[in-house]
Amino acid sequence: MIQLIDVHKSYSKDHETIKGVSFEVHEGQIFGLLGPNGAGKTTLMQMIATLMKPTSGQILIDGLSADKSLLEIHRKIGFLTNEIKLDPLSTPNALFDFFANLYDIPKDELRDRRDESFARFGISPFAEKRINELSTGMKQKISIAISLIHNPPVIIFDEPTNGLDILTSKQVTDYLKELRQKGHAIILSTHIFSVAEELCDDIAVLIDGSIVAQGNVNELIALAKANTFEEAFFKIYVENHKE
Amino acid sequence: MNAGRGIKTIIGSFFRKRGQMGAQATSASFLVSITFVAVLFAVALSWMLWRFPYHLFSDEVYNVVVVNAPESFVRYNEKTQAYRDKRSKEYGNRTNLWRNLENILSFQYNFDGYGSTKYFYKYNDALYDFVSFGEWMREYDAYLTIVFPEDFDEVVDNRQNGLSDDKPEILTYYRTNSLEYSSMKDEYIDVHLAGYESYIRASYGLAITSFSDSEIVDYPIPTVKNASGIKAVVESLSRNFIPILIFIILLYASMSIGTNVIAGQKERGTFTGILLTPLPRYSIVIGYLGGVVLKAIIPAFCVATVSSLLVGQFSLGGFFALYFYILALEIFIASITILISVINDTVISAQTAFLPIFLTLVAVCVTCIQSVNEREDFYMFLPVHGQFFGIGDVLVGRTNVLGLFVSSLITLILSALIVFITERLLHSERYTVSVDTVDAKAVKRRLEGGKPTAWESINNGYDNLNFFINEAFYPLVVLSVYQTLAIIPVVISYMRKAEYSGFIQDLANVKTINDILNKTFEVFGIFFKDPLFLGLMALGYIAIIVTYFIHAGRIWKIKGFKNKVSACGYPLSDTRHIIRHYALGLLIGFIMMSCTIGIMFFTGQLTFSGFSLNISGIGVFIFNLLMWFPQGASEELMFRGFMLKSFEKRFKPAVGIIASSVVFSALHSLNKGYTPLASVNLVLIAVLFALIYYVTGDIWMTSAIHTAWNLSQGNIYGLLVSGNSSSNSVVTAIYSDNASSLITGGSFGPEGGLATTAVTVVCIVIVAVLLGRKGKKAFPQLL
Repeated sequence: MIQLIDVHKSYSKDHETIKGVSFEVHEGQIFGLLGPNGAGKTTLMQMIATLMKPTSGQILIDGLSADKSLLEIHRKIGFLTNEIKLDPLSTPNALFDFFANLYDIPKDELRDRRDESFARFGISPFAEKRINELSTGMKQKISIAISLIHNPPVIIFDEPTNGLDILTSKQVTDYLKELRQKGHAIILSTHIFSVAEELCDDIAVLIDGSIVAQGNVNELIALAKANTFEEAFFKIYVENHKE
Repeated sequence: MNAGRGIKTIIGSFFRKRGQMGAQATSASFLVSITFVAVLFAVALSWMLWRFPYHLFSDEVYNVVVVNAPESFVRYNEKTQAYRDKRSKEYGNRTNLWRNLENILSFQYNFDGYGSTKYFYKYNDALYDFVSFGEWMREYDAYLTIVFPEDFDEVVDNRQNGLSDDKPEILTYYRTNSLEYSSMKDEYIDVHLAGYESYIRASYGLAITSFSDSEIVDYPIPTVKNASGIKAVVESLSRNFIPILIFIILLYASMSIGTNVIAGQKERGTFTGILLTPLPRYSIVIGYLGGVVLKAIIPAFCVATVSSLLVGQFSLGGFFALYFYILALEIFIASITILISVINDTVISAQTAFLPIFLTLVAVCVTCIQSVNEREDFYMFLPVHGQFFGIGDVLVGRTNVLGLFVSSLITLILSALIVFITERLLHSERYTVSVDTVDAKAVKRRLEGGKPTAWESINNGYDNLNFFINEAFYPLVVLSVYQTLAIIPVVISYMRKAEYSGFIQDLANVKTINDILNKTFEVFGIFFKDPLFLGLMALGYIAIIVTYFIHAGRIWKIKGFKNKVSACGYPLSDTRHIIRHYALGLLIGFIMMSCTIGIMFFTGQLTFSGFSLNISGIGVFIFNLLMWFPQGASEELMFRGFMLKSFEKRFKPAVGIIASSVVFSALHSLNKGYTPLASVNLVLIAVLFALIYYVTGDIWMTSAIHTAWNLSQGNIYGLLVSGNSSSNSVVTAIYSDNASSLITGGSFGPEGGLATTAVTVVCIVIVAVLLGRKGKKAFPQLL
């Protein structure tokens, strides 16, 4: 579903932010991007979501590249990041209508989808409240619901459980598991180990713009000769991080 | 993808009650516009009501020459005069206010002439004898000549008896040296000759006359009467005032709405979500364009409709044309705001970037007002000009259909081009993904655990261009606000005076930008002798100083200054230092100016007329003296105390010196007699002041030098100060006949001449040496 082939990105001439990243994500798979702040996770996610263009290399979504079929890709991806905010003066209902219209979702289909995700995340009581009156967790849940409003086969979530309490966090992770079950291809970036451990089928450790290790949790633990996943990550980080 | 649905949704979001796009400023802008128009109309109407006597009963007498008048016309004139006298007696006790109100409320502007008309009957066998007609008009001081054909009665008789279908032609000649005469002539034809037509129709039972008019071109008669008419006022409202009002409303509304979308959404982080939808970029641009247009156009349509009714334009076609002009203009303005919105990341930077466009379009309006009576035909086809003139034309009932379509078409093509560019920009990640523009120093400080200074948090969002625009415009804005406020009471007091009416008449002859400037200088020449003006200007300068204290103090408080005042370069702790530096500064300023005058004196450029202080004007003299103190202090504060420091903080002191000096010089560019040499001198003077600032560490001394320089220039030696003349001086310097304006500076005053250059350069060298001796301790990194 998602294919990255030797992707490079640099913002300035003398510094490369992403240094040749390649990986693949399939249907029904959750792919985790793990890395410290500034490793390039967000840049990579933004490139996959077509917001940025790679300096060199290729990113294919379902075989399509953003140069040629930007709008088709938009139809296929759902992107969630902290950078994308909800209009604070709007309401969940109005936002649903707004984005449903922009995605050109038929009215009756919208109603079903709205009912379903409002019920799942408990949004219904707040449907007519302004976004700026809602809690952080509720905002995040609405953001998730809206980013998936068009039922995209590819889901790109940048730190989806950041700043959420344990209950809300669990709701989100459960939902992601369910989506995996339904055959969505999911990319997840996080620096919360428990989330990565619990969810991801495949994890890439991104340090200073390159993937230094890749595999499932057990493979990574074995690779680093560590006892826990957390320890494995630290070992990998110390080995690969240069000043 | 159904792009139509997407566009409709985006447009719809502008009108939702909930949501940021709907909430932004528009109801406020609507309210502001309506209040604005109401206040201005109230001012204009009250002016009309009080100023103009009810024309039917006006005491003014206007002379008309009638050539070959048939008996019926003479009879008709006598009859109307009798009617006039009768009505005049009936209504004689009513006030002008009441009479005018009656007429305005009933939308009747077509009064029976302007005051009463006195006729001079003449005979001439030629219909086109311009020379004789002209001489008669001069002789009788008439503004109009009506020429009947000699065989008028015969033609009427033939027509009545069915012998011929010919209509007699009546020609009118009128003076063209005042706009008023033209509208008075129109009114005379509409009212008096039409009345005459129905009078003979009643007598003969036939419509028998036709009117055609021609004019005597450039007939050279000195203007004698202050002709006035409500129609002329209405016409001037329609052609000048209402179009510029509509322009300003559109610009303001588009700016407040247009910068809130895209730039505002980027700032709030809601734009990326929209970019990720499968909506094509052009749909996004068109959606936002549509939203801005539809929302910003509402107040403009309201104002246009109300204005149109107020000036008596009721035709349906007129309304259509009016709305069409406004629509095309709004699409143009909205497309520019959307483009600017895409380029910028925050509302404030987008608004800053829109400011030059706002000012430029208002400037175009001003040039339109100046050329409204002299315009070339092709102006009607240009964007902006075309809309300005077009709206005025519609309001006076002369819609130019070709102009409407051509100007709208060109405007729309331009808008399409801008939309195209905007769409391309939306494909670039530079304008779609927010990239941190925090400067490296601040990042470093934050990494080291420090907090950003207030200075950084204010200026981090700006790139260098925006920073420069901000810094350069701030003094301009502050200056214009307070100076305008200071001038308003003076203007109002002058409007009551008799000289003013003569001045207004002269304004009719204003044609070029140069004329406007000259007229402005003339007015300022008068104002500079008025204690009210001088006092208010002094207050204005003090207000500028206070504004800067508040503004700059807020930014620099943190940098280790005791208080806001000392942050701006006026440390207050050491009174002895202040007195010593200020007194020394006054002395230096006087000596510098004396040296400049000395050079001119010894090179034979000027002589002195001895003691010339006029005792009767001593009050003005004192006011003038008092004005120079806050004037010098405020300019030093703006350029040395604030701008120099801002640039120094962002770049280096050298950049600060150059930038503040160039802006200082540029702000004087509108003064009278400004020349390239004057601009160089002003830069040099500013550089000198900046260096003195670095030597002394504050601006006490430079303020004193600035004040003493201007004061001695204007009120001791009696010369022009940056093009402005002072009222009264201790001695008066008189230029010799063979004086060279290269040395003396001509009409800009000594600051425009080589004498000043010489003195300033010498001073700069001296101060530079002092600065060098003070060494690196005082200023480690000047360059």
